[in-house]
Amino acid sequence: MTELEAGRAQVLVPVRSGAALQRYRDVLIALIAFAVLASLPFFTGSKALLDFVIRCSAYGLFATSLNLLVGYTGLTSFGHGMFFGLGAYSFGLIMQKLGVPVPVAFVATLAITAVIAAIIGAICVRLKDIYFAFVTLAFQMLIHSTILSWASFTGGDQGLRGGIPRPAFLGINLANHVHLYIASCALLILGLLAMRQIAQSPFGYTLRMIRDNAARASFLGIDVWRAKLTVFVLAALFAAMGGMVMALFVSGAYPEFAYWTISGEGIFINMLGGVSTFLGPMVGTVLLLLLNDTVTRFTEYHGIVLGVVILFFALGLRKGLLDFVAEWFSHRDAGEGR
Amino acid sequence: MTRTRTPGISRRSTLALMGAGAMSVAAPWVARAQAKTVKIGMPTILSGRVAQLGTSSRNAVMLEVDKVNAAGGLAGRQIEMVVRDSKGQPQEAARVARELVNTDGCELLLDGEASSGSFAVHEVARDLGVLCIHTCSEASSLTADPKQHIPNSFRCVRQGIHDSIVGGSYAAGIAKAKGLKKWATCSPDYAYGRDTTGEFTLYLKRFAPDVEVISESWPKLFQPDYTEVVTKILQAKPQALYSCLWGGDLTSYIDQANIYAMFTQMEVFAVNMADYTALTVVKNLPKGIHSGNRYIKSFPTTPENAAWGDAYKAKYNEYPTNWSWQNATAVMFLAEAAKKANSTDGKKLAEVLKGLTIKCPFGADGTVTMRGDDHTLVGYAIGWGTTIPQEPYVPEVKAGDWRTIFELEAEWKKSKGYT
Repeated sequence: MTELEAGRAQVLVPVRSGAALQRYRDVLIALIAFAVLASLPFFTGSKALLDFVIRCSAYGLFATSLNLLVGYTGLTSFGHGMFFGLGAYSFGLIMQKLGVPVPVAFVATLAITAVIAAIIGAICVRLKDIYFAFVTLAFQMLIHSTILSWASFTGGDQGLRGGIPRPAFLGINLANHVHLYIASCALLILGLLAMRQIAQSPFGYTLRMIRDNAARASFLGIDVWRAKLTVFVLAALFAAMGGMVMALFVSGAYPEFAYWTISGEGIFINMLGGVSTFLGPMVGTVLLLLLNDTVTRFTEYHGIVLGVVILFFALGLRKGLLDFVAEWFSHRDAGEGR
Repeated sequence: MTRTRTPGISRRSTLALMGAGAMSVAAPWVARAQAKTVKIGMPTILSGRVAQLGTSSRNAVMLEVDKVNAAGGLAGRQIEMVVRDSKGQPQEAARVARELVNTDGCELLLDGEASSGSFAVHEVARDLGVLCIHTCSEASSLTADPKQHIPNSFRCVRQGIHDSIVGGSYAAGIAKAKGLKKWATCSPDYAYGRDTTGEFTLYLKRFAPDVEVISESWPKLFQPDYTEVVTKILQAKPQALYSCLWGGDLTSYIDQANIYAMFTQMEVFAVNMADYTALTVVKNLPKGIHSGNRYIKSFPTTPENAAWGDAYKAKYNEYPTNWSWQNATAVMFLAEAAKKANSTDGKKLAEVLKGLTIKCPFGADGTVTMRGDDHTLVGYAIGWGTTIPQEPYVPEVKAGDWRTIFELEAEWKKSKGYT
């Protein structure tokens, strides 16, 4: 061990134990968050609130997974919605055609998504910036068109009809609203926790390095292409989880789930919540859905309201809400330190 | 190794923020349904490309609801409509429908969704057991397919298969009379376009066996430029053309085909032409386009229908659409069913609605029926005629024969494995 390496090892030890500590803290917070969410049905009979949280789970998983690409790796994907749609369709079709238990369909959907994401990713992640964005968008449109034209299998533009069967498993009956709610919360929390682990792992820091300087990462011996492909596939898996939650919520799958507007909403959510903090997209999801649900209650001109809000964030704050709050806190702390 | 970023804000504050968001949703922001009024929820498309149709649905519903309320309401309870935009997205339609029932306390649903949205609302009705009348979706499978069938859902809409049977027999009559053997088709490339065109040619060939389709074009839905399609058809030199383009697509197609004088070179059959949204928008409406009726106040040729069209125009300063009459009919059905059942209870209404025949300005013989076995509307005015460039646009409409429709529909259902 050279002197330099010895010095580095000394620095690494506290960082490692710090990381372990943080991991425990993350798990603890996840457990508390799940306990709070799961106990909600005991305090309120509001089905609308439960519906809201289920939708937040679907969009939250999707948006946070997009942030793994956009915020952590610097890959702005305009086609991430294809995996949301793919998850919803694969799950729905497997349940309708094969009638297997829900967990089997869940795992099979993730496997299908992983294979397709690996193929698409292998082509896309070689590209950078706008080229990456456009090729992902092109693949999304390919998948959307396939869903539309393969009507005998996918139901075409009318979607998967007739409802998704949800046989009970292990005492969980997803046809029951409260069961579905708790299952969605569990998927959300598990998904977020897993993504948090990815983001905080050495792999996560490799991604940040690739984002900041890919050439440098490459010179340090990192296989940039492989790292990008890995995160592309991982993000696709979480997006597919979001799609499955949505498919269960509406008891169907529709081509709109794989349309570019879903990807657009994902980007919008990330802009709204912020990409520099892990929970930014989750905050963005809650904000967007709240805005959407309240504004559409009062006017059909919701487009104008949402447009003004996005302008406010883009031109006024110049960052997402949680980015803004984070900066405000760090400024305050810095002020106290002086 | 040092961290490239500071850990960010504390989780406590983030959680507090999320909690605040959740609380504001939980806030009891809506009053429960009052015993006196009966709330009817209606998700429909009020923004985007087909907003005009959604708005015309809402207008028609309000026109009829005002009448019902003035006459004492549904079984003595005044109707309060809660109409909300779904943006034409199925997941929003499902959410809005659930919200209308669960949060706003709506006891009945009018589903003003098209295509995929109607299937999403159908699943909500299946889940919540609330009485739901579909008022806009023409997809035949919604009621024809027994897998879709639920006791609490009805469809008060014209149907693709009915249109195709009537269109096919009408077109075959003209094809035989004028010797039109070479046909071309040009329809939007999605399920409705493909299915409707397939069914139309099926019945056309059945009634006129020597017809041959020599060219097929499938422009994309909402395609702005049809030059390629128009030239392709002109090169094929057909004697007749069938199209189920609709709305803005149909009007841009006609405007562009007019440049090539297409309408003087062949007989054109456009099932969705005779709708005011298309008739009044085309710059130079060619004479002699054959079209099915959508909504036109000159068919059925009864004073009731003309009066209804005029009343709508007087109130909203535009003509009703195809979606308008369907929504108005749904409210008429509800009113009559509530009178019969003397109740607004969804289950009792559903029992009465089965097989119910009511007087209606849009009926072929002055009445329409909610068929009992598949919960769908039959007996409405359906026919084909030719256009003239000014009002009344389609002066004479040849009515379709419902006996033939029933006969061929039963055959079609069998061929699809529905019965």
